Amino acid sequence: MMTSARRLLIALACLLVAFPYAWVVLSSFKTGDDLNEPSKVVFEPTLDNWSEIADGGVFQSAWTSLLVAAVTVGISLVVGTLGAYAISRFRTGGAATRFGILLSQLMPPAVLVVPLFLVAFDLNLRDTVIAVIASHLTFVLPVVTWFLIGFFDAVPKAYEEQAMVDGHGRFGAFRRVVLPQVRGGLVAAGIFAFVLSWNDLFYALILAGGNTTTLPVQIASYNTFRGVELGAMSAAILVSVVPVLIVSFFVQRRLVRGLSGGGLKS
Amino acid sequence: MARIELQQLVKRYGEVEAVRAVDLDVPDGEITVLVGPSGCGKTTTLRLIAGLEHATGGTIRIGERDVTALEPKHRDLAMVFQNYALYPHMSVRDNIAFGLQARKTPAAEIKRRVEHAAELLNVAQLLDRKPGALSGGQQQRVAIGRAIVREPAAFLFDEPLSNLDAKLRVSMRTEILRLQRELGATIVHVTHDQEEAMTLAHQVVVMHDGRIEQVGTPADLYRRPATERVARFIGSPEMNVLDAAEAGALGLSGDGAARVGVRPEHLRPASDVRDDRVAGRFTAHVEMIELLGANAIVTLRAGERALTSLVDSRLLPELREGEQAPFAVEQGTVVRFDGDGRTIAG
Amino acid sequence: MLDRIPLGARFLAPLLVLVGLVVAYPLGYSLWLSLTSRTITQRETEFVGLDQYTGLLSDGEFGTAMRNTLVFVVLAVTIELVLGLLLALALQRQERVRNLTRSFLLTPMFVTPIAVGLMFRFLLNQQLGAIPQLLDVFGITIDFFGSSLALITIVFIDVWQWTPFMVLLLLAGLESLPRQPFEAARIDGASTWMTFRRVTLPLLRPVIGIAVLLRALDAFKIFEYVFATTRGGPGDATITAQFEIYRTGFQFFRLAEAAAMAFVLVGIVLLLSIALYRLLMRQEPATR
Repeated sequence: MMTSARRLLIALACLLVAFPYAWVVLSSFKTGDDLNEPSKVVFEPTLDNWSEIADGGVFQSAWTSLLVAAVTVGISLVVGTLGAYAISRFRTGGAATRFGILLSQLMPPAVLVVPLFLVAFDLNLRDTVIAVIASHLTFVLPVVTWFLIGFFDAVPKAYEEQAMVDGHGRFGAFRRVVLPQVRGGLVAAGIFAFVLSWNDLFYALILAGGNTTTLPVQIASYNTFRGVELGAMSAAILVSVVPVLIVSFFVQRRLVRGLSGGGLKS
Repeated sequence: MARIELQQLVKRYGEVEAVRAVDLDVPDGEITVLVGPSGCGKTTTLRLIAGLEHATGGTIRIGERDVTALEPKHRDLAMVFQNYALYPHMSVRDNIAFGLQARKTPAAEIKRRVEHAAELLNVAQLLDRKPGALSGGQQQRVAIGRAIVREPAAFLFDEPLSNLDAKLRVSMRTEILRLQRELGATIVHVTHDQEEAMTLAHQVVVMHDGRIEQVGTPADLYRRPATERVARFIGSPEMNVLDAAEAGALGLSGDGAARVGVRPEHLRPASDVRDDRVAGRFTAHVEMIELLGANAIVTLRAGERALTSLVDSRLLPELREGEQAPFAVEQGTVVRFDGDGRTIAG
Repeated sequence: MLDRIPLGARFLAPLLVLVGLVVAYPLGYSLWLSLTSRTITQRETEFVGLDQYTGLLSDGEFGTAMRNTLVFVVLAVTIELVLGLLLALALQRQERVRNLTRSFLLTPMFVTPIAVGLMFRFLLNQQLGAIPQLLDVFGITIDFFGSSLALITIVFIDVWQWTPFMVLLLLAGLESLPRQPFEAARIDGASTWMTFRRVTLPLLRPVIGIAVLLRALDAFKIFEYVFATTRGGPGDATITAQFEIYRTGFQFFRLAEAAAMAFVLVGIVLLLSIALYRLLMRQEPATR
């Protein structure tokens, strides 16, 4: 009896998750008229919406999002790995640093966006990706560092000590012995961070301008009170969502393992 | 207390047969020890009795009941795990009481039984502590207490002493023996340690590769091992087993056997074996002497063969590492095996 | 000369510099801002001390925003915890097709929130939405974005997207629990409910604590769903803290006021996280 209750629950959950996806996929291929009949499942598909968003610059926005995310994650991984190693191994800065990092994660974007906006304004950096990247760093850096601290903590000190006895310096030991061990963690943290940056709306909405629209901002722009561009919006949503879904599929298993191993022990 | 009967018990995991057609009788009120190297199926058998695994075939009876299809909670058994399996967030008292609470035993009865079990195991003063605050030995006793309090039909012990240090292991063995005598308990005990098996068991069951090699009292297994495997497994240091030809070189007649076994305690310096009780005599090269205390393990080389001898320490002055010395085998101690590893009687 | 500085400090320096640049400096700047009367139009700013803050005390809209946010967080996190736990338990026992199902069920948390908000805006729309049409078949009419239900609807959008997050953490927690106490409970004869209540739940407590803490912190920042659907309406039923700050700062351009609001939000979030932390993470002795 428990088994069938369990199966029912999972089936229901799958249905609830799948329903919006299905709707978005269908809508992206519907003409304006068909969109007015939401329950119409069989219809004549059209690619109009897709060409519309291509003309409307969706792929430029996607590219901007990609650029911002890549740079943000790149910087975060390099800086974060070094910092996390120091915090894990040398306890540099002590509990205060760890706490400080946790604190930065707490910060609602609302409190940082105003000054970032003003600084960008003053430095004439509005409508450049630099402002957006800087804002993304505020939440990606702490998350990546936090993850990595957990992963470094899980590597036994014996490995580095062995390497140092064998003749390598501290940095050498770090590079040759420890880094390869956390490689999986780096990849997971990197992917997670990428998704966070790719999905951000708040900072991009406020700090980016016409030339530096990111994908989420573009999606939001289809939501006008004047008229509903449902078809185009659905297509744009798919452009944003599909890459992430594919990637997250592969990362899921590692996340569960990584969390039950390193990350949860904070 | 009840007896346990296993009939043609089989457990298969996909392609692998972990337990193959095992027939076993566990007598009421006795300790039966399942022993063997890792992977032999002893733990799987225990878990099948417990109901933690579903049997692929065969039957399990406890007392008069066929419990093969029953869930663990309905089999009226208590189990002590290798890692104690204490609930880390509950006090010792709650840990012990848990099983009784599950069966809705009245509170007054629970209190009585818990305190009685705690007394029996010397953990009464620890009742309010949490497992994290106890030593390994104390945790083990709490685990046993938790089992006793249920007053089950039988107890199942899954290598409960393996995580304890050597001295503690020996003292806990005595504890278990004492408890069993006091309670008249039926116990199925699993271990990989043959010494533990020999000291604890009324009945020893040697298992290998999912099958039972031999069942018998410790004395039976020592004196009349059924197979070469049993002969080598029981007794420490391990029995010397030679081909018929090598045995001949030592002056031992194989009598048509394929292989011949001599225990180290029966292969001693010639001066220690009475002339009229010599079965074979030879000179060997003394390679290494390891002093244990009253005895010493001496590694010899005779021709191409390395042999082990258990020597009374008082005789050590006669032997020097790197030199030759005369050794003899005592009559009537040789065990002969046929080509399939089975013992030849007589 | 560089060698004089200990290795740890050298490793940590870039991180500290970056965090200082993008977090600490803006934070300080924001604090200073909140003590001024800066709007986007005025170049010169006047130092007004705590005026912005006291102004907020009498600001009805801000109070409503905070209240809405609080209600939202409590409702959303509670529902997500219960559903997440049920799902995690179910997924843990699942045998067939388990990796596929898990991967699939976790996907909502990876979708950009604005998209989720918009999807539901139109799914639940009276004219164009598939769900009202479906309900119509059963004769049920629900105005999802009407004043009494709007906030609840937003809660459910959050539940759709973030329950998988809870499932992820709780599942990881469940799978890291030692197996043997559970086998012991089976032999001891505990029922499923008793095992859950007295063994699973207590052992899972630290994980639940972290999950609730993380989720609650995140829930306070809610913005995208409101932006996508109701924009605060109807009336002020769904104005949340971050949305109000956005409006004040970037629609009305009262930057200093927005900064002050943000700090009040931070203060409340900080207090609540400390309280939650104390409540949920009381130390249990960790043993095997």
